[in-house]
Amino acid sequence: MENALARIVGIATDPYSYVTQLKEERNSKVIGCFPMHIPEEIIHAADLLPVVIWRGDEPVTWGHSHVRPYNCGILRSFVDDAVKGKLSFMDGMVFHIRQCLPAQEPPLIMERNLKLEYKKILYMPPVYPGEAIRDFLVEDLKSFQQSLEDYTGKKIGDDKLRESIEVYNRNRDLMERVYAIRREKPDVLKASLLMKIVFAGMVMPKEDHNVLLSEIIEGMEATRGEIGKGKLKVVPVGCLCQTPPFEVLDMIEDLGMIMPDDDLFVGSRYFANKVDHNGSPIEGLADRYLSKVPVCATKGIWDVHWGDEVIKKVKEVEAKGVISVLAKFCPPHTCYYPDFKNKLVEEGVPEVLIQVEHEMISLEGIKTRLQSFAESIGGV
Amino acid sequence: MAIVVGVDIGSLATKTVVLGPGKEILAYDILRSGHNYQQASQESINNALSSAGFKREDVSYILSTGYGRGVATLSSLADAEVTEITCHAKGAERLFSDVRTIIDIGGQDSKVIGIDEKGDVTNFVMNDKCAAGTGRFLEVMASALSVDIGGMGDLIMSSSGKVDVSSMCTVFAESEVISLFAKGHKKADIAAGIADSIARRITGLVGQVGLKEKVTMSGGVAKNRGVVHAIEERIGTSLVVSEEPQIVGALGAAIIAANRTKDL
Amino acid sequence: MEGTTYKVNRLKTTNEIRPLVDKHWADLRTAKERGELVAWASGPTFIFAYAMGMKCHFMAGYASYCGGIGAGEEVLKVAEMAGDLPESCSYHRLHMGMAEAVKRDIEINPQALLPLPDLMVAGRLCTEMSYYAEGLYRRMGVPVLPIEFPMIFEKEDIPRLREFMYRQFTEIVIPEFERVCGKPFDYDRMSEILSVLKKVATLRNECWEFFKDIPARWTLWDYGVSIAPVFYLMGNPKGITYYEKLLKELQERRENNIPAIAPDGENYRLYWDSWLPWAFLGKFMRKFTPHGAVCLCGRYPWEFFPHPELIDPEHPVETWTDLYFGQQSHLCYNFSPKGAIDSIGELIEEYSLDGMVMFSSKTCRLWNVSQMEVLDALEKKYGIPGVVIEGDMIDSAMISDSQIETRLEALFELIDSRRT
Repeated sequence: MENALARIVGIATDPYSYVTQLKEERNSKVIGCFPMHIPEEIIHAADLLPVVIWRGDEPVTWGHSHVRPYNCGILRSFVDDAVKGKLSFMDGMVFHIRQCLPAQEPPLIMERNLKLEYKKILYMPPVYPGEAIRDFLVEDLKSFQQSLEDYTGKKIGDDKLRESIEVYNRNRDLMERVYAIRREKPDVLKASLLMKIVFAGMVMPKEDHNVLLSEIIEGMEATRGEIGKGKLKVVPVGCLCQTPPFEVLDMIEDLGMIMPDDDLFVGSRYFANKVDHNGSPIEGLADRYLSKVPVCATKGIWDVHWGDEVIKKVKEVEAKGVISVLAKFCPPHTCYYPDFKNKLVEEGVPEVLIQVEHEMISLEGIKTRLQSFAESIGGV
Repeated sequence: MAIVVGVDIGSLATKTVVLGPGKEILAYDILRSGHNYQQASQESINNALSSAGFKREDVSYILSTGYGRGVATLSSLADAEVTEITCHAKGAERLFSDVRTIIDIGGQDSKVIGIDEKGDVTNFVMNDKCAAGTGRFLEVMASALSVDIGGMGDLIMSSSGKVDVSSMCTVFAESEVISLFAKGHKKADIAAGIADSIARRITGLVGQVGLKEKVTMSGGVAKNRGVVHAIEERIGTSLVVSEEPQIVGALGAAIIAANRTKDL
Repeated sequence: MEGTTYKVNRLKTTNEIRPLVDKHWADLRTAKERGELVAWASGPTFIFAYAMGMKCHFMAGYASYCGGIGAGEEVLKVAEMAGDLPESCSYHRLHMGMAEAVKRDIEINPQALLPLPDLMVAGRLCTEMSYYAEGLYRRMGVPVLPIEFPMIFEKEDIPRLREFMYRQFTEIVIPEFERVCGKPFDYDRMSEILSVLKKVATLRNECWEFFKDIPARWTLWDYGVSIAPVFYLMGNPKGITYYEKLLKELQERRENNIPAIAPDGENYRLYWDSWLPWAFLGKFMRKFTPHGAVCLCGRYPWEFFPHPELIDPEHPVETWTDLYFGQQSHLCYNFSPKGAIDSIGELIEEYSLDGMVMFSSKTCRLWNVSQMEVLDALEKKYGIPGVVIEGDMIDSAMISDSQIETRLEALFELIDSRRT
């Protein structure tokens, strides 16, 4: 398990070198996907390397002349990386412009500042009622498939797509197993390490990730572990399409709390719901996107309350409270947050809000919030 | 004899409260934190103890809180640390048992805390890392107006019509204040505008926690009548302020310390 | 020029808009008392409510109205008290504030209070328009009819987007209105509304010609207050009378050589990007006028049916779809940042502009998508300077006057330096 974890940490620490090297080794093209909902399986089936775009590790400098400061950190960092030339290994990019306002910004910026061989705009609609929505989504994904076929000059048959879906479904099963073990014995893996596992899976070929996951699962099963005595169980929740800062996750644990589960994109949401590929595989991908749970604030779901779903999770793992992680200037989360919080207040579930930014200038304020929260749920 | 100490090491001031065996306040001390938190906390504790007539060895438990709380525990000066949120709640509950909302404007940040009848925190919010609506904001504005921070309260109260200072950001507000001054507005009216700008920021935090009466205000800025008044106007209820609002956090720390010694 | 005291020559006709606008909102406030059904709408969906004889609120229209009556700040404050975060869209907060005031019985300007709707038609032109409808549903339980209203990013996507929109209108919107109102959809009324709109927009386009005069005969702010007849007052024949009068007044100005800016016309002719700052039209005007600067056109105010010749009242649902998603539509390309470079470029040439003011609303980037790229491309292509100024449509806390003034003055200096 140690080797597999070391590999994970290496990739999560420097995904740039990893992807560059991978591209050379495989002699393949890299397609960057703007998080969160782009069905990577189609890219995989086109024999290209899909990677989910990540938040970089440098403060924004040149990016400032392309994007306003009151945009979320992932957008600013992504644009900054791009204009600095740090993403030159990407041959193509896919954008889902209807996800949120910041997601509309990059297409023109990338077009003017990068030499991309391939660019695709997806309009994937929100999860609204009516056949027209589903039909349009299916058409949108078909046009995505077509554009990739045009790019590679190769047809993607349904069987090829089904094979890719199977690889991804296998990955989802394995990730679910990792989470299941960790729900039983959360001290087996630190939360930051768990999130690195998820994150690495977003840039690695899923076949390779599956191999590492199998090793990790074996190791986790063999490790004795239990819920640390005196630890307060909490569930981190957010709509951010990046990992929470790892140091914040570590801080939560250092303050005597433990996170047996989460409701985060770089977390349990990424592998939730498998794709049914018994019928048309494209429709299977569409239906996965249309599933309402886990609730995502970007998807226009209003007949299922995010708060209710999180409360279910809190009860399942017998957690004491919820830590909301809000990426500053994330419009979907910002607008949903008051309703989410009110639901938790109504149901008596303690909750605290942590606002994170790309440039975390001071962690001290966050520490005070978290420590106070631990004191209030744990009793002083 | 078991006496306990609470020390609140803030970014601008360090405060100490000494409690006797019956949890009565024996003495307190306030001094500027300066750059060396460890030195400031030691000095403040020594000051408070000497005015109470005790020595360090008489103290059975020291609990630190505030921005510099970690410094005191790291140096083994304090036995444990608790955040200022929890301490303000305990301190305020001791001073006003029917208080349900606490507004604390400190030098580094401002916060609003909801508490229950036992003085336990039900929820809280803090302002973000920027200085909007903090003691630091008020200091910068006072210097932009070239007035003494102590005189700001009276200056604000003497205003006959506040000027609108719309910017919440310290940097923008400073340039706005300077340009308002250049345009010939009265100092008092600009100061009242600044107080209102803080009040608006605080009102937003109160909204997030949910306004429950009674409301108290603690922290150094609570001594500024002008800001208190501006907040009262914005949130539509009066604030209860103790005689020495700056020591509420240290008092709470001392109360928690006393509770812990009982368990020992 | 140096030493000149500039001021605005005010139009007489624009005084007549306020009673029309006030009546619209007053009718909406009292609709329930008369037993009428009420809808709220966002995105271009309100025409369906009008066709069914419902009184209808419109999201951005309400914001401009609140700005006009000076109620913006107090309503935003209620939202903040209810826990809404200051970084969220100020239109969102405005509506949450109003709804919370109703729910919690908080006293606000009574003119800003609206009856809760029988149906909320949530056109998701921007994603925020979905959040606001979701929030109202969760907080107030209002019934929602959600409609996805995507912006076109690539021309090749038009056919499938058009098909999708047409299906949403015919399969979802119209049946739902029929259900709520208990009667068949009134296609004839929709045709009438479009006929009136076509006339009003044609007249309005004639008025636009007077922006091209040098010196200009009116200002963008004048047009800003005149926008309701091509917007949420659509279908009201008084809009025709209004624009006829406005056109006549502008013609008289031209004949008598009266400029928009006294004494002798403007010194700087400017483009204005993004929303109009509804709550601060006067405040912003006062930042331009003393310099003899005038804003003459903008992408957003030009979105309201710039091609009335494309309106075909005989085929109301088809034409409504085509206005937004048709091959000849001129609207949505403007949304997509790439299209903005072309459409703003056309404005720069047609209206002989000297500079660009890129208003950047901190809480809404709908009109600012890739704004800095757009500005850069335009500066390179047309050789005229531009500045970004930051602010908000209605939230004064997002505006720094001194910062904006400095940037505008810098823009004027840049224009001067390129002239010499």
